[in-house]
Amino acid sequence: MGGNSFFYFLTLDLLKEKQRFAAIAAILAILVFLLSSTLFISASIKHTLNRALDAQPDFIVQSVKGGMLSPVAEGLTDKIASVYGVQKVTKRVFGRYFFDDGKSALIIGVDFLDEQSSRNIEQIVKNINLKEFLSQENMIIGQGVYDYFKNRYFPKSYNFLTPSGELKEIKIYKILSRESSLVSNDEIIMPIESAKEILGLKNSEVTDIALNVPNESERENIKDKLLSLAYSLRVVSKDDVKKLYENLYNYKGGLFMIMFILTAATLSLLLYLRYTLAVSAEKKEIAILRAIGWSIKDILKLKFFENLFLFLFAFITGASFAYIYVFIFNAPLLKNIFLGGENLKQFAQFEPVIDFSSLATVFILFGITFLASVLIPVWKISVTNPKEALV
Amino acid sequence: MIVDIENLERYYEIDNKKHYILKKINLKIKNGECLILKGVSGSGKTTLISIIAGLDKPSSGKVLVGGEAVSKLPDLHLSRFRAQKIGIIFQDFNLINTISLIDNLIAAQVPLNKSLKEAKKSAEEALQKANILHKKDKKPSELSGGEKQRGAIARALVNNPDLIICDEPTANLDRENSLNFIKTLETLHKEGKSIIVATHDPLFENLNFLHKTAEIKNGQIAS
Repeated sequence: MGGNSFFYFLTLDLLKEKQRFAAIAAILAILVFLLSSTLFISASIKHTLNRALDAQPDFIVQSVKGGMLSPVAEGLTDKIASVYGVQKVTKRVFGRYFFDDGKSALIIGVDFLDEQSSRNIEQIVKNINLKEFLSQENMIIGQGVYDYFKNRYFPKSYNFLTPSGELKEIKIYKILSRESSLVSNDEIIMPIESAKEILGLKNSEVTDIALNVPNESERENIKDKLLSLAYSLRVVSKDDVKKLYENLYNYKGGLFMIMFILTAATLSLLLYLRYTLAVSAEKKEIAILRAIGWSIKDILKLKFFENLFLFLFAFITGASFAYIYVFIFNAPLLKNIFLGGENLKQFAQFEPVIDFSSLATVFILFGITFLASVLIPVWKISVTNPKEALV
Repeated sequence: MIVDIENLERYYEIDNKKHYILKKINLKIKNGECLILKGVSGSGKTTLISIIAGLDKPSSGKVLVGGEAVSKLPDLHLSRFRAQKIGIIFQDFNLINTISLIDNLIAAQVPLNKSLKEAKKSAEEALQKANILHKKDKKPSELSGGEKQRGAIARALVNNPDLIICDEPTANLDRENSLNFIKTLETLHKEGKSIIVATHDPLFENLNFLHKTAEIKNGQIAS
């Protein structure tokens, strides 16, 4: 079978019904586009969050009183640092600041004189002049916060209301890049003292204490030791946080599954319609080919290549448009479904990450569904006595 | 090509009762012979030629075409055999309407692994022989009945088969085109092809190249 005359006939077959094929390819491409967009967004979010988590400390020590989180005594830092195997003990100050319209931002206090903290900040904010930054009360804010301040006519500074009822003006020193917006959109980074004042913490208090344990096999043991330091302590590991994020984004990934099921159902319906409507013309043509010497295998081969070409064209087009839609146009509409939980306007820019294994899954599942939906009716027609359609 | 049919029966069963389309058919066509199968519509002519062409299967009996038991060949072999050895001309021509005439002829050569160049050359030769080369790029829907018939003849001849089977070939033609068709058959007969024509057209009676006439009545050979 084959050679040039087969591929010539294959081309003829594709061209003779180009309008019908174009319509099928367009529908397929739209379905692939929807699935791939969901997949790209999901992969990008997971990647960014995992990277953010990698930079997080191994443990966080919090204080719980009456079932609620409460400030941790700063003095605990020395006790924690004295536990063998513990490294990089850092006091952290942060908390949600609620504006009068119910929206909120995350205030993070940074001890800029601490070597580790200032190094972390330098990684996030390029070319920061610490001397200049610390010369007055400044803050570094995310895109969402900047947009919120600007809309409320505070483009250069903002007056925070402290728990004692006083207003505290903090100047905007820098705005964080859009690329980091997925995690920093609603963040306000400021010196630790200013943060404590706005969040109502005493000088001797911090929100929590972060620490690292380089020896992985010692982590469980050290966690027990930390818990024994005081009854009110809660120790959260990086793995716990990771699981929390995974649960959240697996739910988002569930959207992908729902979309896949919906698109697969739509596809099956369309193909069913395509074959019930086109069946008599198709039946006649297959019967003619059988009468002039085509075997069932030849016909299946022709239809396989014809629809494989169609599917590849639709898949490449749909996936390419999805890439442009997500990573260049930043996924309007779909972004709100994925990041809709943000209370400030979301400026997240999806980082181009392609999950090839998931894309391959879509390709295989979608491809098999499509080709099977086409080839099974063709096979059924082919095995029917061609005489019926010819005389 | 020799066609040998012994005790051929074709029936379908409803409530365990056999309804015969063909019953006890015995027929032999020698190399280069021309057979006319006569009979009214529904007599079983089309079923008989479909079985000879391997497009239908008998319920019982033996059908040998060129020594091959066509009803017992697996699909792939039967298809190749049909492509190489049998040319069929249908009453409704059965050309693919969405492609040109020459492409219809190329389609008939695809199963034989021919290169495109070779397939085009054979197609043009067959079209020339059927006197329709000038319409090679037209689609069948743009051709008249007679032209379609000549296209169908060209397709049946493109692989140079030994056996030509025609099913009511003049049913959709006027008298002039019918006579032209008979002339073409005569030429093919002179080339040594075996020919079977199922028809009830009186023009096919008393042809000077005719060897046999068989009349089918109610699924059986009456004469």
